[in-house]
Amino acid sequence: MHEVLNDPIDVTVAFKDNRVFPRAIRWNERDYKIDTVNLVHTAREGQKRMFYFSVSDTTNYFKLKLDPEILEWRLVELYTDG
Amino acid sequence: MQRIILHIDMNSYFASVEQQANPFLRGKPIGITGKDQIRSVVATASIEAKKLGVKTAMSTWEAKKICPSLILWPGDPEKYSDIMHRFNAIYREFTPHIEPFSVDESFLDITEEAEDYFGATYIAQMIRSRLKEELGDHITASIGIAPNKLMAKLACETVKPSGLTVVQSDDVIDLLNRCNLTDLCGIGPRIHARLNTLGIKTFQELRAFPLEDLQREFKSYGLWLHEASHGRDLSQGVTSDIQDIKSYGHSYTLPQNTTDPVILKRYLFGLADKVGWRMRRDGVVARRVTAHVRFGNFTNHSEQRTFNEPTADGKNLFEVAWSILRPHLKSDVRLVGLSASLLCQNPSQPSLFKKERNMQSVLCALDTLQHRYGSGVWKRASTLPIEFKPRSSGFHFDHEV
Repeated sequence: MHEVLNDPIDVTVAFKDNRVFPRAIRWNERDYKIDTVNLVHTAREGQKRMFYFSVSDTTNYFKLKLDPEILEWRLVELYTDG
Repeated sequence: MQRIILHIDMNSYFASVEQQANPFLRGKPIGITGKDQIRSVVATASIEAKKLGVKTAMSTWEAKKICPSLILWPGDPEKYSDIMHRFNAIYREFTPHIEPFSVDESFLDITEEAEDYFGATYIAQMIRSRLKEELGDHITASIGIAPNKLMAKLACETVKPSGLTVVQSDDVIDLLNRCNLTDLCGIGPRIHARLNTLGIKTFQELRAFPLEDLQREFKSYGLWLHEASHGRDLSQGVTSDIQDIKSYGHSYTLPQNTTDPVILKRYLFGLADKVGWRMRRDGVVARRVTAHVRFGNFTNHSEQRTFNEPTADGKNLFEVAWSILRPHLKSDVRLVGLSASLLCQNPSQPSLFKKERNMQSVLCALDTLQHRYGSGVWKRASTLPIEFKPRSSGFHFDHEV
């Protein structure tokens, strides 16, 4: 099932080699451990550059959006296998 | 000096990017569509979907009929645009001579860097390796290496996906003889049909056909066909120059077919504002508007009008486009669109008329806002009830609309 969302979330990240790696997210009072960061891309919103992280655990694909100016994370897409 | 040209084509590009992003789509037939999946087409089919008969530009209902297990996935043009810039940056690590041919295809002139075909193969493998390192395992490319762009592209097409094909000068005739006429970029269905009526069905027959007769039938294109049949390319080499923009345009498939002039005006006005913003951003004005409509039965009407006072104001563009379309809107409309052409640089001289000067000031302020905060920061009141959903297709992505 594919859902388009725009929910604020808490994200635990690791910093490595000048890059950011989401490790876990907390959404709807549930914790999800991230297994893999599959793709990172950016997109402009006016003069702002937003970062998008396509990540997954064993059953879910999450697309996370980071606004680097206000350090806000949002869950913008969810796909659950099956 | 014999050139060495690389043609790099990303395999099922939009679908591969989605399969890279989402591991649950890997190995499955997927089709990338617009946001409205019902009235959309398959912009790209995954390799798995292609094997099951799904083709690019097929309507979604037809694709679903052929392949019921097809997963329709809404395209994400910003993501594809970002990835495109990243693979072009990788190409620039190897040569400055790059000519983008489409959103997922580029020509690279590596004559100096490679020195010979062994070097060219090495560079091609290095590019593959960098793509994998930077973008992941699932965004892959096919590469053709040949003495000119035409043959490099043809070579690239012969082994897909993820092929690497080298065609040296001595082998181009052999490659052509193994291909169909329509495999060559530049021979589409119409040219093919006309060649067939002349009794030409293969490249051998095209080569044997007298040049004078080809030129009589196809005018200057006859020479191009003759040269292409010998593996020669009349186009200029790889050029990194960005060609001047000739026109700015937008079209949109409506959520439902309609005859309601109010709805049609809103969409056309919204599109005209998008065109106007891009022109003002690039500092140009237009003296011609072409309006386009597609009806529910898939017939089209297109008409243009030229005027004396150049403009980049969406309202002026809309008024011209609407005056063109209004008399023709007698049946259900599926799509509306407009483009502005006959472009020239925006004169810095302000208008003599106060009303126009005021409007220019307003547009300037709105453009500053849009530049700072992005699209959607302002809308005309008359277009408030409508919404433009993003699409995934298009060569030159332009997200500042």
